[in-house]
Amino acid sequence: MPQMTPEQQKALQEKLKNMSPEELQEFQKQQCIFCQIISGKVPAKKVYEDDQCIAILDINPAAKGHLLLLPKEHYAIMPQIPEPILAHLSVVSKHLSQLLLKSLKVDGTTIFVANGLAAGQKAQHFMIHIIPRKEDDNALQFEEKVISKEIQDKVKVAVENKLYQLLEVKKESIQLKLPQEDYFEEKPEFFITSENAKRYHKEKCAFAQNINSEHRIEMTPEQAANSGKKPCTCITGEKIPLPAKTKTESELDDSKNNKPAKKISPAKSTHSTKSAKSTKKNSKSKVPQKEEEEPEEEFEPDQEDTNKNVNLDDIANLFR
Amino acid sequence: MNCEYCELRKSAILYEDKDVAVIVKDTAVTSGQITVLPKQHFTILEMVPNELMEKCFLVANKVSMAIFESVGSQGTNIMIQNGLSAGQTVPHFAIEVVPRREEDSLNFQWQPKQLSEPELESLLSQLSEVKVNLKEKAEAKDKKEIKVKDENTEIIVEKEGKKNYLLKSIRRTP
Repeated sequence: MPQMTPEQQKALQEKLKNMSPEELQEFQKQQCIFCQIISGKVPAKKVYEDDQCIAILDINPAAKGHLLLLPKEHYAIMPQIPEPILAHLSVVSKHLSQLLLKSLKVDGTTIFVANGLAAGQKAQHFMIHIIPRKEDDNALQFEEKVISKEIQDKVKVAVENKLYQLLEVKKESIQLKLPQEDYFEEKPEFFITSENAKRYHKEKCAFAQNINSEHRIEMTPEQAANSGKKPCTCITGEKIPLPAKTKTESELDDSKNNKPAKKISPAKSTHSTKSAKSTKKNSKSKVPQKEEEEPEEEFEPDQEDTNKNVNLDDIANLFR
Repeated sequence: MNCEYCELRKSAILYEDKDVAVIVKDTAVTSGQITVLPKQHFTILEMVPNELMEKCFLVANKVSMAIFESVGSQGTNIMIQNGLSAGQTVPHFAIEVVPRREEDSLNFQWQPKQLSEPELESLLSQLSEVKVNLKEKAEAKDKKEIKVKDENTEIIVEKEGKKNYLLKSIRRTP
């Protein structure tokens, strides 16, 4: 019957697997001295008892009045304990600490939990130690050392994600910690002019681009209106005269663009009937005339190679 | 009063909500030690309201679990040093969570004393003088403070006890 034994073993193992949590717990309970104290089989000096927990005097205390606070259910370590019970334990331990302070006239208390064998846990039953302390009693002394910033940060990074996960904090609230900058905030509208200029311009206007940085003045629409200067065609809605001699394809587009704009302006309406070339020439010749006193605003048609683009923005960019 | 924890730089904070902050201190028993504290300033444990105490302790439990899983410790010590003679260095109530490993050189053990039966008896009687009070308090936490207010005598006793100790402890804090 050699084949039967493994099967039996398997069956046994399965049985154990199925039964082990309860059995183990039962087994541990039977072995656990504190469970026997709680059930009353072993005598102990009870200081406090309610339906969830019990506090007893430690037989081998660190100091006189060393108390042990035990949950009545058997839990080996703290993570196993349901939160309501843990919360209750914490409050009771607070009051027990108060009790020690009052009745034993001690100066302080240490509340201590050892979680796991490596932490010095001796019994398989979770407990909170409440130890009355006096100065220089040498009961529990820890030497603190300085932790370098590097290690601090390492610890932070290592623990942070897990902790947030356990605390069930949503990711959004983590992101909220980062500074949120609004990169899309629009600049308030402003116009550009110079001291001696008669007109003010939008930033992208070719005239504005041409103003030297020394003479450049920025002003709000209100300031501009009160300054006594007139708005440029770029503000009134007229098209900015194109910078240089137009050729072939772009010429046609320019004439199309310029014509409706001319109609709006009464001063330039006389040119509307003329050909595109003539308007170009006129407008060019007009500009320096009009703005004689503004040398920095003078339009300098030195961009011979820029006329393939009709887009005003592109033209404006070329001046930079 | 200058309190180190109240004036903490933001860089030290690992987690915070409206009540509780979790920080990594620059001085600790061992690296990886994490401190849980209420944001409001309480010098000692006895000043902390029950609800806040519960919250702090639950957060400390979570921190302990997080340490278990992330730092690779085999155990944790959770510790409240309450009062100057208990080794409290900062006059702000805090729960320390210390990660432990088998081979670390930390010694958190105490020298166990042997107490005789009469000594234990006398201790018990000493403690049981205030025992009734304690039960009232533990129950009062569920009923909340409104119900405690009816029992005027109880409150006076509690307050006197508290105040006496608080005054003492405040004088003691550096």
